[in-house]
Amino acid sequence: MKTIPPQCPEPETVKYWKSIDQLENAPEFNTWLEREFPDGASENKGDFNRRDFVKLMGASLSMAGIGVLGSGCRKPEQNIYPFAKLPDDYIHGKAKYYATAMPTRGSAMPLLVRSDDGRPTKVEGNPEYPDSNGGTDTFAQASVLSVYDPDRAQRFAIGGSDASRAKAFDALNELARNAAGKQGQGLAFLVERSSSPSLVRLAQATKQKLPQAKWFAYDAVDFDIHRQAASLGAGKSVTPYFRFDQAKAILSLDCDFIGSENDTYLHCRNFARGRGVKKAGDTMNRLYSVEPLMTQTGMSADHRLRVAGSQVIAVAAAIAAKLGVAVDASKFPLPAHVKPAWIEECAKDLAANKGTALVVAGYRQPFAVHLIANAINAALGANGKTVQFRETPDLGEGNIAQLAQALNGGQVETLVILGGNPGYTAPADLDWSTTQRKAKNVIRLGYYEDETFAATDIHIPAAHYLEAWGDARTADGTFVPVQPLIQPLFGGLSEIEVLAFFAGVEPSGYKIARETFGGDDEAWKKYLHDGFIAGTALKPIDVQFNPAALGQALAQASIGAPNKDQLEVIFTRDYKLDDGRWANNAWLMELPDPVTKMSWDNAIHISRKTAAELGLKNAQIVDVELNGRKVRGGVWVVPGQADYTLGLSLGFGREKGGRIANFNGAKTGFNFYPLRTTQTGNIAVGAKIAATSQTYSFACTQDHWSLEGRTIIREANLKDFNEHPDFAKKFDFPEPPGGNQSLYPNPLDWKRDATHQWGMAIDLSQCVGCNACTIACQSENNIPTVGKDQVRRGREMHWLRIDRYFSGNPELAKSHNALTPEQGQYLEEWIDDPQAVNQPMMCQHCEAAPCENVCPVNATVHDQEGLNLMVYNRCVGTRYCSNNCPWKVRRFNYFDYSKRPIENLYKPTTTFKVTKREDEWELLKLVKNPDVTVRMRGVMEKCTFCVQRIEAAKITTKVAAGQSAPKPVADGVIKTACQQVCPAEAIVFGNINDPKSAVSLLKASPRNYTTLEFLNTIPRLTYLARIRNPNPAMPDYYDMPLTAKAYFEKAGHHDAHEGAAGAGTNGVEKKGAH
Amino acid sequence: MSDVFPKWTNKLPLKIAVGVVLVGAAVTAGAWYYLTPKYSRVGYQPIQPVPFSHATHAGQMGMDCRYCHSTVEKSWYANIPAANVCMNCHNQVLKDDPRLALIRESAATGKPVPWVQIHRTPDYAYFNHSVHVTRGVGCVDCHGRIDQMEVVAQAQPLSMAFCLDCHRNPAAAIRPADKVTDLAWTNSPAQQKLFGEKAIKDWKVQALDNCSACHR
Repeated sequence: MKTIPPQCPEPETVKYWKSIDQLENAPEFNTWLEREFPDGASENKGDFNRRDFVKLMGASLSMAGIGVLGSGCRKPEQNIYPFAKLPDDYIHGKAKYYATAMPTRGSAMPLLVRSDDGRPTKVEGNPEYPDSNGGTDTFAQASVLSVYDPDRAQRFAIGGSDASRAKAFDALNELARNAAGKQGQGLAFLVERSSSPSLVRLAQATKQKLPQAKWFAYDAVDFDIHRQAASLGAGKSVTPYFRFDQAKAILSLDCDFIGSENDTYLHCRNFARGRGVKKAGDTMNRLYSVEPLMTQTGMSADHRLRVAGSQVIAVAAAIAAKLGVAVDASKFPLPAHVKPAWIEECAKDLAANKGTALVVAGYRQPFAVHLIANAINAALGANGKTVQFRETPDLGEGNIAQLAQALNGGQVETLVILGGNPGYTAPADLDWSTTQRKAKNVIRLGYYEDETFAATDIHIPAAHYLEAWGDARTADGTFVPVQPLIQPLFGGLSEIEVLAFFAGVEPSGYKIARETFGGDDEAWKKYLHDGFIAGTALKPIDVQFNPAALGQALAQASIGAPNKDQLEVIFTRDYKLDDGRWANNAWLMELPDPVTKMSWDNAIHISRKTAAELGLKNAQIVDVELNGRKVRGGVWVVPGQADYTLGLSLGFGREKGGRIANFNGAKTGFNFYPLRTTQTGNIAVGAKIAATSQTYSFACTQDHWSLEGRTIIREANLKDFNEHPDFAKKFDFPEPPGGNQSLYPNPLDWKRDATHQWGMAIDLSQCVGCNACTIACQSENNIPTVGKDQVRRGREMHWLRIDRYFSGNPELAKSHNALTPEQGQYLEEWIDDPQAVNQPMMCQHCEAAPCENVCPVNATVHDQEGLNLMVYNRCVGTRYCSNNCPWKVRRFNYFDYSKRPIENLYKPTTTFKVTKREDEWELLKLVKNPDVTVRMRGVMEKCTFCVQRIEAAKITTKVAAGQSAPKPVADGVIKTACQQVCPAEAIVFGNINDPKSAVSLLKASPRNYTTLEFLNTIPRLTYLARIRNPNPAMPDYYDMPLTAKAYFEKAGHHDAHEGAAGAGTNGVEKKGAH
Repeated sequence: MSDVFPKWTNKLPLKIAVGVVLVGAAVTAGAWYYLTPKYSRVGYQPIQPVPFSHATHAGQMGMDCRYCHSTVEKSWYANIPAANVCMNCHNQVLKDDPRLALIRESAATGKPVPWVQIHRTPDYAYFNHSVHVTRGVGCVDCHGRIDQMEVVAQAQPLSMAFCLDCHRNPAAAIRPADKVTDLAWTNSPAQQKLFGEKAIKDWKVQALDNCSACHR
């Protein structure tokens, strides 16, 4: 007998779409959907078929059985090695946490890092730091894996060959002595941006000692432009600090403050706090975004304007002129497609929010745009309120072009490179590897023996920030320690330790950091314990902007006019690899890009119109030529991108990056640095594209896990929410004639007496899709990476994924007959300005779980606290559970990904022991969380709600209670890894039995809804509907979010407020044939 | 009849008989091997590098288990003492005894003593000492009369069935806090029933037989 599933109220054609293929209804996509598992996943097409396999296995098993019985060898003898002298406070099995900070370019992220038996295993944000909620970002989460990177520089090298530490130290001392003798003549330092007070102190000491030495700074992605621009206007070195929490109206001028600027963890939190409305009448911030590429900020924006990167200045100038800033906007004509009303109304809204408005310009934009933003902020009274300025030391470094000039002029005898990889990231016209070689001695502190290594005389292995002492200042200037958790694994040094040779102090990071701190030992201990010193945030100062600086910048500025033959290229920080520094980090490499959902690759991002005009197909390989330089890459059509722009993300295509960056000996992704010169900067117009006949195969996760356009995302505008706070329920399917019965039994119906009933709520209004939760989950739960080939087969193992949906304007869609499947439909106009939504998706922990009922071996069962458990030892790998999971959140371990070499999964083997290369395995096993089982092949796995954290908390309360009744675990004590990391505070976990718990309060919100509620599986994970806050006066205003519009339109009702019930019934009729 | 039963069927009964015998032998051998306590290593008594006698220390002298196994109430792991713990006494007592040579060497050089592990749960079972010991499960229940063992041997199978026996009926094993490390303490069945049931109620002891109790 076939069970007929409940019918679903979905539109008959797809309205939410996750990929171009889906929109097209391409045959490949439908095959993908209809198959339980991707092609080839469940059959063996080789010569060696299943029958042969069973025969052979049967034979070998019986042989093995005889062997075991015969020899009688049982469990192997194992030893316990206790300490000879137990260290103080050491308890084996109890993790310790140390406060530290991750230095970023010119800032830092305060952290609390878990240490198991002396090895750092998990990074958390420092929740006690006043300007943090314990949130971090993807880079901080993944940084712990880099400690155990087997391709790290592991030796001191002189002239490319091994040298002892002592010998390298001697050589350094010798160079320092020589330099001191000549007052530093001929000595040059190349540094990266840093906020470390110790580094500043040593640099100043060095400058005093070696006054002739020259200083240069280079970062391929340089956030220092915020400081430089503010300083230009202010007349002294000041850094802006944006207070998104104070802002009600935000205008982003190509500033991706949620995704690719510095301190995103902070901006996400502050921005998201203004988005999570609780009840009708609550206020909400509004975000206008003007940008060329689809960014995370653009995906969160209420109004988004697509403008080429070189034309952002026109929009900025026009808005500034409307707000009374002295700008000659006529020099920068608005692009034709920009409606004047957009400018007008946006300016009006900003003006209406005087004192609570904020304009930010992105690091990609030139000085002029930054100065316009500063001027608007000044005009809007934002200074001191939504943007604060702090005095910052300016070391007055030169730039890399000046360094190249000095090198070419023979003025540099000794070059000291402190971090960075200029051999890969330097502008192409400087021909860096040759230029660098012009110095007689090149000393380089590097984390890898990479592209820069070849032209280096003394190579010093760099210590990871979790291995070295140091300090830093956070975004608001608070003094934070960088405290090591482990001795440098390979004896590496930190920047300050190398600099110490030249400053003439002992190269001991601890002593340097201690001396910078000063104070008594008690204060020092408190500083290390807390991870910050309260009250050391730099005082905001009053800044008067000099209009002459703006005038000057505007006089030098120009506006680009990209077209089909003169394309604009935009070099951008990669969401995963930054400027290439994380290229050998497998977690980041495999992480799907938040916009394209592309894993293990980057691409040339392009708009559909540009692709159409140039006759390009998605994934076609093209050559991009700019000023006689050429790069090759695959194109990828990205909805919402400005026309005639090419988005090129940096960091891929490494020559010499390690086993991940050079997976299987090939370059992973495309290197776009060869196109980037000192002239082009971040944005340049004038590129040409020449198509080739080849097609690239990208590993993109966006076709996977499709939900076929059901109403799993529910949205409304703030206005509608205020009028109908319970709008989310109106998307629910009406109760079917038989009543709301589940197809499956609910094990909790028999027994629901446990103190705790766990549940989770995710606020879609606050989620910005930053991906930090995915990596946090990977780190906490020992989730393996699988490699590009496996991702292409849909076998990525992430327990938590971010589903990203686009929605187009249904009216435009209809006028273009877009509702019928048709080849090439993705080239239709209506995808140009989509709205986007992010939804974190993981196991829903259904009470009446579909997966549990189809498992033949009881490997997935419920516990009394409502967790859907996975018992790995029982699992025999039928995969029925995954087949029956409506949310597709279960992951099957096809190979022993944790232990086997992912570059060589298909190699036939004759032994049972196939492990990763020894160096890799010895290091990588150190990063594992000892509280979580490392799963092996043939086992299904999925989100457990971090059961290890739940059990640990329960055990703590029980141990504390001893022989008395334990108290329930207090609310907020258990934070799942995803909740802990979430900078936007979108994820809340807790006990739903306790009506006062944070999660219960959220679940009581009128916005709370269940995905696929008509299945009646009673998920413990619910979502809070998303609220948008568009401005009704804007020309691109929609009276309801496009997802809702499409839903109601399909249902035959335009009025959202009465249409919900009708929508459901209509849906039934239409779904009948499905 | 040869049409119905071809010639090869003549030998079929013999083949079946041989097959039955073989399968029977395999089942017997399997049961013999896997279902005996020997499989779960009850009685496993390896030779330790230092002939430490629990009978002397814990039995005769009455030392508390927690003097040496000091983390048992704090961590999932009950530690083997560091050599310097032995030396607290043995720098006075038997300070030149050759049997203690390894301990002295360890304390002096920092080289650990390679004790042989006896009690072992699989890696996927997350047994936690602290919660058992503080909530009234006696050491003796899993480890037996250690205080009578010259050389420690495994007393219980420590299999999942063994754990579940107690987890399904904790009232039968639960004991007062001060008797947890008292290996000789026993209770009459009637008193134990009374105490156990009261403790279950007052301390809110749950019969944890969910998978998540031990497997993560």
